[in-house]
Amino acid sequence: MARFLARRLGGSALVLLGLSVVTFLLARVIPSNPAALYIGPRARPEDIARVTQALGLDQPLPIQYLTYLRGVLSGDWGTSIGTKRPVLEEILGRLPASLELIVVAMLIAIPLGIGLGVLSARWRGRGSDLLFRVISIVGVSMPAFWLALLLQIVFFRQLDLLPLTGRVDADLRFTAPITSLTGFFLVDSLISGNLTGFVDAARHIVLPAVTLAAYPAGLIARMTRSSMLEVLDQDYIRTARAFGLRGRLIANQLALRNAMPPVLTVIGLTLAYALTGTFFVEIVFNWPGLGTFAVRSLLNVDYPAIMGITLIGAAGYVLINLAVDLGQAWLDPRVRLT
Amino acid sequence: MDRSLMAPRPTPLLRQIGALIGVIALVTAACGTSASPAPTGASTAPTAAPTATPSGPLVLKVATTAGITTWDPVKSFSTEALYMANIYEPLLWVNAPGSTDQFRPGLATSWEVSADGLTWTFKLRAGATFHDGEPVTAAAVKQSIEAAADHGGASFIWGPLDTIDATDATTVTMHLKYAAPADLIASSLYGAWIVSPKALAAAAADDTYFETGVDGGSGPYTIESYTPDAEVVLAQYPAYWGGWSDVSHYDKILLTITPEAVVQQQMLDGGEADMALSIPLENIGQYKTNPDYTFIDEPSFFNYVGYFNVNKKPLDDVRVRQALSYAIPYDDIITIGAQGYGTQSHGPVPAGVFPYSADVPQYKQNLDMAKQLLKDAGHEGGGFSLELTYASENQNEARFAPLIKDAYAKIGVDVTLTPMLFSQQWERSKGDAAARQDMFLVLYWPTYSDAGSDNLWSLFHSSKNPFFNLSYWNDPAYDKLVDDAGGLTATDRAAAQAKYVEAMNRLVDQAPGLFFYDTKFVMPLKKTIAGYQYNLNYPFAQFFYPLHPAS
Amino acid sequence: MTDAVVIAGRSGWRTRWRAVLRMDPLALAGLVVVAGLAVVALLGPAIAPYPDQGTGTANVAEAMQAPGPGHLLGTDQLGRDVLSRIIVGARNALGVSLAVVGLAIAIGVPLGAIAGYRRGAIDAVIMRATDLALAFPPLLLAMAIVAALGPGLEHAALALAISWWPWYARLARAAAVSLRERPFVEAARAIGVSDRRIIIRHVIPNSLSPIIVQATVDIGTVILAAGSLAFIGLGARAPQADWGLMVAEGRTVILDQWWIPTFPGLAIFVSVLAFNLVGDGLRDRFDPRRRR
Repeated sequence: MARFLARRLGGSALVLLGLSVVTFLLARVIPSNPAALYIGPRARPEDIARVTQALGLDQPLPIQYLTYLRGVLSGDWGTSIGTKRPVLEEILGRLPASLELIVVAMLIAIPLGIGLGVLSARWRGRGSDLLFRVISIVGVSMPAFWLALLLQIVFFRQLDLLPLTGRVDADLRFTAPITSLTGFFLVDSLISGNLTGFVDAARHIVLPAVTLAAYPAGLIARMTRSSMLEVLDQDYIRTARAFGLRGRLIANQLALRNAMPPVLTVIGLTLAYALTGTFFVEIVFNWPGLGTFAVRSLLNVDYPAIMGITLIGAAGYVLINLAVDLGQAWLDPRVRLT
Repeated sequence: MDRSLMAPRPTPLLRQIGALIGVIALVTAACGTSASPAPTGASTAPTAAPTATPSGPLVLKVATTAGITTWDPVKSFSTEALYMANIYEPLLWVNAPGSTDQFRPGLATSWEVSADGLTWTFKLRAGATFHDGEPVTAAAVKQSIEAAADHGGASFIWGPLDTIDATDATTVTMHLKYAAPADLIASSLYGAWIVSPKALAAAAADDTYFETGVDGGSGPYTIESYTPDAEVVLAQYPAYWGGWSDVSHYDKILLTITPEAVVQQQMLDGGEADMALSIPLENIGQYKTNPDYTFIDEPSFFNYVGYFNVNKKPLDDVRVRQALSYAIPYDDIITIGAQGYGTQSHGPVPAGVFPYSADVPQYKQNLDMAKQLLKDAGHEGGGFSLELTYASENQNEARFAPLIKDAYAKIGVDVTLTPMLFSQQWERSKGDAAARQDMFLVLYWPTYSDAGSDNLWSLFHSSKNPFFNLSYWNDPAYDKLVDDAGGLTATDRAAAQAKYVEAMNRLVDQAPGLFFYDTKFVMPLKKTIAGYQYNLNYPFAQFFYPLHPAS
Repeated sequence: MTDAVVIAGRSGWRTRWRAVLRMDPLALAGLVVVAGLAVVALLGPAIAPYPDQGTGTANVAEAMQAPGPGHLLGTDQLGRDVLSRIIVGARNALGVSLAVVGLAIAIGVPLGAIAGYRRGAIDAVIMRATDLALAFPPLLLAMAIVAALGPGLEHAALALAISWWPWYARLARAAAVSLRERPFVEAARAIGVSDRRIIIRHVIPNSLSPIIVQATVDIGTVILAAGSLAFIGLGARAPQADWGLMVAEGRTVILDQWWIPTFPGLAIFVSVLAFNLVGDGLRDRFDPRRRR
């Protein structure tokens, strides 16, 4: 296991290095002069020359890349052109809001997806199977930004049940402020016994989390169904089933466990989807996370921020893949040998 | 003095970009989805009174689109003016048009100007202090204005300034290079804030000193907390010279940064905001008939202008430009672009701003006249095409630009619409002359309350390297009128006005540009809030100190 | 792109098509919608109730009318008929999607086939490149590319193609790896046919069926992706009739004029759903593991 781990870690590190080259090159493709962007529109030629030198933009590309890499490793990710604050600080400050949303969405999507998939496989070919399949395919076909708008119309405008946007009420800071410990409002409010804060945060997270969960739930359900069907067809399961009720119980447990590896892969994939899916959800729900910052930076060619966001997103994805691989190895010892 | 020798007054792009990204929604609302920072939230929690929590502080909750590009009062040249105007003070404030006095005291209580308009003396208010406890002194004023003139975001407004002296502890004297209205300049919303010397020194040592949300102002409110893209809390500065006991001022102002107009509408309806500064224009009309609201509908500082590239054929022919001016559906553009909250412009100076005049003629849509003029110019039936660029961030331009295309099609002129980020639209207009646009739309406003030295000079006066003159128009007669008027502004404003009107008449006749509409400021205000005064001279700013709950 | 498809022979995919039609009502429904969409995209303005409004002409007098007899799906802020805009937008949606998938196939399949057939160093280089491109979460690379190039429909399409080709490279490579050991390929090699010719004549044609299945699903996915980019301002731009952009434009008035953003979003959803249904049906037919 140690060797497997070392090999996978080494591979991930290499991919990350490659990613840093890609993000670096992307920023250099931006048609405007980075130094001019940095100073702002009223730049005088001498200012541009000064900043060009200060940012090292007069150096050859490989040197520039090494400087960039050293900065990234030492925590200096540059300064956002839009907010004039360090990019890493901006990203880390907003990450908890996005992560909380993603975690809650996955807590909805995984049980829902696996449940739908298992039931669909059990009742293969019946009407309920068809229904579940339609539900899951609808989930993967729905544009998140549109689903978000529909939910807003229904739950805010028509039913007046849930808030339109935001993470908490603006008022909350005066009535029951949530002290930030983990940055997850749901957790923080519970730890500090702030029930008002918890209810408020929970009411706000429902619609964005459901929106973000739709695609992962659908995809997980589809994969669970097909993986279960395959396992259920295999001989040992059939044999176990033949042994009556107890055997049937064992069979179900066995089947689920053996159907898990591909499902785990899909869960990893949907997590990666959620990393960018949250951009669209956050925009509609004005969720103060990484996504809103990302979209604004993309639109304003805030290239230090774009580089930072691309890198953190890709790094997150690499980590997810690593975790999935380790999970596979744990579920299926044969994987370690390959 | 020959104005061509003066420093040009570019109207900086930063302000334009900042505004296009955030503030367009603030003034003309109906913002779309682009460029959205995040607010903290909105909910349905219905609270009837505007005064927030029981027994807690008296809080005014405001929803705004205005983001903060910098907290540095010297560099500030964008949407953060909303906050700055409550934290900092200039020497003078300009009153709303129609007031008895043109100015009212800020940190200066009296001021005088020499007959030649070159020497301005300001007497400072006694007893005013900065939020760090330092007294407001002549030395502080000198340092602030020197910093603004040296590296301010709007440093160009101090172009006429030669030297500034602290004559004694409470007297400041400005010596100008040429006659200029220093009273108007000193009351600017940008580049004229007086800042604590301690804060200036800290910012000189560390140019991000202000960015975490600290201030060095003398105004009624101070920054209590700041969450980027989410919210700003302003709290009373107890030692404010104006005092706090006359009316029940708000203890705190909670400003929620909410880029979406539709969200602001919901916050207002749901009671989560007492004031919402940008409601979607499409639906703002419903508040007119709502008995709980006063509907504020006032002229503003802003207008929409178009440029013809007069260096390109056939736009070099004045008859073609006139024809194209006649072909514009002005009323429809106001209906669509401004949802009716606008008035057709009389030249490039918005109504209510010096040197506006309703006598400056307007074009009205007249397709027959347009066709005739094209025929006279040798382009019967049109037959040429034009490329029009506009800022894709600006939802209003995006909505009315197609109307121009439709209208020009009717006189046989084909228009290609090219939306681009403002910065790119801008860059292209200064790039290779052959690859430049034929037409360019812009939302414009003067930096301070002098649209003669700003709009008329910046938009159409010739200069070697055009900055905002994106018609590239070069007309010596026009230049001379504007230059002469500028020299007269400090000493004889009526004579200056007359010259400027002459210049605008020439401009409309020669038609190097299109003058679409002046936008209006519209806002529903809850009747539970009293003390509100609108002042068009400070676009983007709202003043919270005069506000209090209605009894 | 998730469940990669195991290769099925090229032979018989027509008969399987018919089987799909006979057996799976969902796939059949999807196919009907896809066909309808193709017809709408082809005819475009010709079948729109207000063709010039579909392409952008405003009608100020009728702005923001609710759905009714004159305008079945209402009008937008410029008074344009929403139904006409959706019909004209179909051509954009489908056209962009076909272009992206076509370009991705054109780049990915030859590279993948070469990598799989030749193996060795060239395989390693190409596959590392795909690893890298696929190491970004979905759409993130595309978004960064559009930001660098500047927003616009063409740039969005190019960026999507650049981030999409590695999937096809992987599919083609998997097929090529197994094909290179097959007797007919070995025979061709033995008689001295050039690698290039083998790849063009044998390897690529015989690896097409999983690629076609994937492409069917992807056309839907790309419609969704392009719509998403347009929604946040990185794709098509006004006054283009683009579904994602229409949703974005209507968002300001969602609470009072809900039809303006709702129907274009519905168009995206139905199209994506239809391609997914057809793709599922095809996949069930082609994937031996899933054929049951």
